[in-house]
Amino acid sequence: MSSRPVRSQSTVSANVKSRLPALVVIIGGLALTGALLRLVEAPLWTVLRAEQPALRLDSTGAAAGQGVTLGLLGGFRAIVADFTWLRLHVLWEQRDLPATDTLLRLVTAVDPRPLYFWVNGARIIAFDMTAWRIAAAGGYDSVPEARQERIGAEQARLAIRRLEEAMTFHPANAALWVERANIELNRLHDVAAAAASYRRAWEQPGGPDYAARLHAELLKRLGRKAEALAWLVQLHPQLPTGDEATEIVLGRIRDLEKDLQVPAARSYRPPPGGPPGAKPGGR
Amino acid sequence: MTRVPFSFTRARLIGQNTLLEASRQKLFSFLLLLALSLVAGAQGFRDFNFGAPELKFLADLGYGAMAFFGAALTVAATAQLFFSEIENRTALTLLAKPVWRAEFILGKYLGIAAVAAVFCVLLTGLLAAVLWAREGSLLTEFPEAFPHGRTLHFADLVAAGYVQWLKLAVLAAFTLLVASFSQTQLYTVVTGFFVLVICHLQYLAQDASARGDSVFARAVAGAIGLLFPNFQLFNLAENVGAGVAVPWDRVAHVSVYALGYVVAAGALAVYSFRKREI
Amino acid sequence: MSAGPSGTPAIELRGLVKDFAVGLRGVKLRAVDHLSLRVEPGQVYGLLGPNGSGKSTTIKIILGLLEPTAGECAVFGVPGGRVEARLAVGYLPESPYFYRHLTGRELVQFYARICGLSGARVPARVAEVIGWVGLTEAADRRIGTYSKGMLQRIGLAQALVHDPRLVILDEPTAGVDPVGAAAISALILNLKAQGKTVLITSHLLAQIEDICDRVAILDRGQLILEGAVRELVGVADRQALVVEPLSPVQLGELRVWLAARGRTLEAVETPRARLDRIFLDHVGRTAPAKREGGP
Repeated sequence: MSSRPVRSQSTVSANVKSRLPALVVIIGGLALTGALLRLVEAPLWTVLRAEQPALRLDSTGAAAGQGVTLGLLGGFRAIVADFTWLRLHVLWEQRDLPATDTLLRLVTAVDPRPLYFWVNGARIIAFDMTAWRIAAAGGYDSVPEARQERIGAEQARLAIRRLEEAMTFHPANAALWVERANIELNRLHDVAAAAASYRRAWEQPGGPDYAARLHAELLKRLGRKAEALAWLVQLHPQLPTGDEATEIVLGRIRDLEKDLQVPAARSYRPPPGGPPGAKPGGR
Repeated sequence: MTRVPFSFTRARLIGQNTLLEASRQKLFSFLLLLALSLVAGAQGFRDFNFGAPELKFLADLGYGAMAFFGAALTVAATAQLFFSEIENRTALTLLAKPVWRAEFILGKYLGIAAVAAVFCVLLTGLLAAVLWAREGSLLTEFPEAFPHGRTLHFADLVAAGYVQWLKLAVLAAFTLLVASFSQTQLYTVVTGFFVLVICHLQYLAQDASARGDSVFARAVAGAIGLLFPNFQLFNLAENVGAGVAVPWDRVAHVSVYALGYVVAAGALAVYSFRKREI
Repeated sequence: MSAGPSGTPAIELRGLVKDFAVGLRGVKLRAVDHLSLRVEPGQVYGLLGPNGSGKSTTIKIILGLLEPTAGECAVFGVPGGRVEARLAVGYLPESPYFYRHLTGRELVQFYARICGLSGARVPARVAEVIGWVGLTEAADRRIGTYSKGMLQRIGLAQALVHDPRLVILDEPTAGVDPVGAAAISALILNLKAQGKTVLITSHLLAQIEDICDRVAILDRGQLILEGAVRELVGVADRQALVVEPLSPVQLGELRVWLAARGRTLEAVETPRARLDRIFLDHVGRTAPAKREGGP
């Protein structure tokens, strides 16, 4: 142990010195860290970004001035949107059409990622708002049926426009196409459009098989039985073996063959061992 | 001369004391209770009857509460627990012991990270219980909506909670870095929240640096993109409530990213604090 | 400054200067101005001076909490800024604030472990030092409920828990009642008896006069007086006799007797007891350190 003290610091104290050097070191250190970690960030970010088209600031434009900007900037889209949705439900119960409509736009502007905001929003526009408007005009008993239909069609088109907007955020989503088909069928009574939408729904990744069956059913209703048969014949080998739905499809094929008087030699023959259960690769 | 090497034991002791101090404070209890009651109360939203998507709504609300109250807790607790040492002069007594300043900063960080971890664990546990119970009743009410039985997986819910904690851990490190040179608690809290906002929008700065109108704008945006972490990278579990699995390779990837920032911000906090006059 | 008996002083300061920057423009304020001191092992050394004289700043430099602007500082030969220098030091800060969420026992345990004590030794050693400072009964109460005097005592316990060679006490009697101050004085004398070095600061010069071997008096950061207490306070060419009361006649005889020997009786006064002593005698309390043994 040395008995001679070591000089601690010779001239000027650290607190008298400018803080500039420390600031330069901190900024430089963070920049260096950022540059190094960009190598880690970039590959994952590219993938995440592609999966989340909702990460666009332009969609928050509609929400500006609604007292939610800070929530959005702070990255709390989900919770702000959820509370907006709860508020929307209060207005929905009060049948306040303009306010419900505003909040429907706001909630998807705040957070366009949850699908149920879009799907439930479209249903509210197409079905509930139609009923509210008819009730406001005097009720189903006093409003002429033609006007009821017109109101229903107007609301249905608005709902479809919402679903089209949703599809820009959620491309290749089966649920949105199913919802569109339902509205086209039940509100617009446009069977051809609904048939096309059910087909699009089935073509999306994970699209439900019932959408494909409904497509055939609607073709049949339109009198396009040959087209419906061809569709089901193409569909059947792709359905899971032993499934109840697979048997139903086969039954429909037989019904259509009977209706179309297809000769036994040309009738559909399921692949040996049953359908492989794979979905078509081209979807 | 007896050498005093850096000691993780001392850092751990300081961390334990910090956690104990936080747990005995009203702020921690208040935010925890608020978040817990929100998640538990979410069961009451069943009147809205979303059907199967209700689970996603509940999960979004739960993780949203975790992100929101967790961020508030992390920034406030970091500033409070750091400045309580300085202003109450307990740092004077502690640093007069054979304690390295790096041990002090590491200890404080460990304590705050533990506070955030306790918060996330409790909320994840409660949320998992709420989701499990609601999924059970939805299964009974709408069996057709669940053709393959239960869709939620506990491991994914835990992974989602872990990713939330990772983000808070990075936020704590940056707030501690600010505290290491800041003179007041208020400045630290305000700056901490600014950091939080900037980190969530960092990706926009990256975009602007690539496609900005002027050279100056590109340079400023590039600097922001370089200096702050991208918090959108922690959005790995957006669809966990819809039964979509959390990809574990991505969780590992983002863990490395978070660790890198925690180490860097922590080291810079030590550098900044080492000459601070107590 | 006298040379110490051993080679390595407990504390050595040479030409210490500390400037603080004040305001945005960074105007310098000199808190310590070329201070040189040497504290030998085993001494009770008083660092005295009015408020703002630089005592606490000097202590912070010794403990490595502040970096000197210029000059040298060493503790048992180790530079003051190094962590190693603090191994042998126990410190009681001025107006100590401790973690209010801990109990007295938890606090001392925390610092014991921070100082490297481990295992089964900790509880026994903690109980021991808490006993010395007379807080055994209050050891399991939250520190938030402690009085000022109790805070000083638990502060002493944490300063002593790792058995340091050098104990630094910054204004240990400030704001403490006479009973508490007497207890602290007794404890300091006990530490001295153990062979420990004690550096004590106070702005109440008379209060620590009785316990210090040497004192240094600072004013505006400068050393204005340094030396052994006995040498500084004693009046070398005068003597006082204390006797039973004398009548005027007897006093006259005494004056004659003194004159025959070339001396003069300069003053006749009634000796005064110190108020703190009278208070302590009347309340009949003794210092806890004396009652429970010492370190």
